[in-house]
Amino acid sequence: MRKTLALIYRELVAYFSSPLAWVVLTAFLFFNGYVFWLITAYLNDPRTQAMTPLKLFFGGTIFFWLFLLFVVPVITMRLLAEERRSGTLEVLLTAPVSEGQVVMGKFLAAFIFYLFLWLPTVVYVVILKQYAAIDLYKVASGYLGIALLGVLFAAVGLFTSAFTRNQIVAAIFAFAVLVVLFSVGLMEQLTTNPALKGVLGYMNLWDHMDDFARGLVDTRRIVYQLSLAGLFLFLTVKVVEAWKWR
Amino acid sequence: MIQVEGLTKRFVTRNVVDRVSFFVPEGEVLGFLGPNGAGKTTTMRMITGFLPATAGTVRVAGIDLDRDPLGVRSQIGYLPENVALYPEMRVAEYLRYRAALEGVPRAEVKKRLAEVSERCMVGEVLRQLIGTLSKGYRQRVGLAAALIHRPRVLILDEPTVGLDPRQIVKIRELIVELGRDHTVILSTHILPEVEQVCRRVLIIDDGRLVADGTPDELRGAATGTAELQVELEAPQADAQVALAALPGVAKVSSQGNGRFRISQDGANDLRREVFRLAVEKGWTLLELRQTTPSLEDVFLRLTMRDTTAPAAAEEEEVHA
Repeated sequence: MRKTLALIYRELVAYFSSPLAWVVLTAFLFFNGYVFWLITAYLNDPRTQAMTPLKLFFGGTIFFWLFLLFVVPVITMRLLAEERRSGTLEVLLTAPVSEGQVVMGKFLAAFIFYLFLWLPTVVYVVILKQYAAIDLYKVASGYLGIALLGVLFAAVGLFTSAFTRNQIVAAIFAFAVLVVLFSVGLMEQLTTNPALKGVLGYMNLWDHMDDFARGLVDTRRIVYQLSLAGLFLFLTVKVVEAWKWR
Repeated sequence: MIQVEGLTKRFVTRNVVDRVSFFVPEGEVLGFLGPNGAGKTTTMRMITGFLPATAGTVRVAGIDLDRDPLGVRSQIGYLPENVALYPEMRVAEYLRYRAALEGVPRAEVKKRLAEVSERCMVGEVLRQLIGTLSKGYRQRVGLAAALIHRPRVLILDEPTVGLDPRQIVKIRELIVELGRDHTVILSTHILPEVEQVCRRVLIIDDGRLVADGTPDELRGAATGTAELQVELEAPQADAQVALAALPGVAKVSSQGNGRFRISQDGANDLRREVFRLAVEKGWTLLELRQTTPSLEDVFLRLTMRDTTAPAAAEEEEVHA
């Protein structure tokens, strides 16, 4: 446990001492601020149907997804690729820590950084609360949905980072995998086969987020995202173990 | 302490390390010598468990690497060849991180940090970012980190590469000192380093172990015995014949201007005979010196593949 904590701590030092993290953080806030403004402006138009702004904010717009698909690979690309490129991996894998601990430490660090990105958006909730009644349960479930997406996306990003020494390649690979994961669910709309529709619907991340934003915490959604994340983390451990056998 | 048996690493079709076996008793400083690409780093990586061996076994402090890799790793302090560190961390931060990874008890960390930073002389840079340190300091930080869990075995892969001469001297002194309470394996292709630091030398070439012994033993084994370097004021041809006629002389090679190189038959010291001969003949003796082959000669002889004649027959004084 202490070893994993040490690994997490090191990754967080690396995050917050690199300019990239601050650029990502700034861009993320700027972008989300803009989207928040767009949503409130849109909903203030008397012609639009009544909706709660936070429902739109939590995954109800394409902006949310575009940015998330892009930003998580940037967070995770460094994790294993840089370790291999610089050779620090040799020290890490000859220390008495298991590959699983290494992967877990890095994953948790990326996840914590991801949560940190979202932390300032709590301000939006506070602002809205000045003007309207807000169901805090829905807010909580919305953030739960965001956290679950973070678990899944960070696991995918870490997985791709294990494949290469080049951070950019890792990021692009992660982006590609995430786009596939995201769009597979959307194909639900394109099929008429009821069985296939059911399967794709189960994997529809947009609907997942929509449910959470509406305050609907569905264990099927949680199971899907956590088990998929678990699969990617397991595969990452296997890839790290396989480095030795190259 | 370290028992290596039949260690082999196969990359595609080539055995990079081929059936290497050796034993290092506790408290020994072992020099691992070989030309670049001989398999030194690969062997060390297999001992640390970073690379799996194709065949063979490694036991460190009685623990089998295959059975308990984490147990072996906790016995070893490893300084890899390129000393990769995290540039964005401060030295003290990094050492504390390594202490946690190695499982140093929390209450001990402060003490250990003081201990290794004093030993490796990094006390004055503890608060500095690693990225801003010179190569010499980085090397010492890497070494300090390798020592933080008080490992019984130290494995150092070319610890003096890329350092300036003063730093090299410092690091060597440090290794000698560490050798008093650690078992050390040190790889290098710098020969004087081995002579200064190591009690025992392994020479590896093309993945195979070609020699194993103390520096003195290896030197002795290489040419059998010492050679004599003689310079006389005498007629060249006469002198050569007279010298060759001395008992115990195997071969006399003239180097011109009255200089000769005498190979001996046995272990007898021929200097007295040469002196008496000169007195008898009335020749003036300008130089009489016994030369022993340097480790460099041994090394070149053992690692040269086109061995028609050891090219390194140049006289080289030995700094014992």
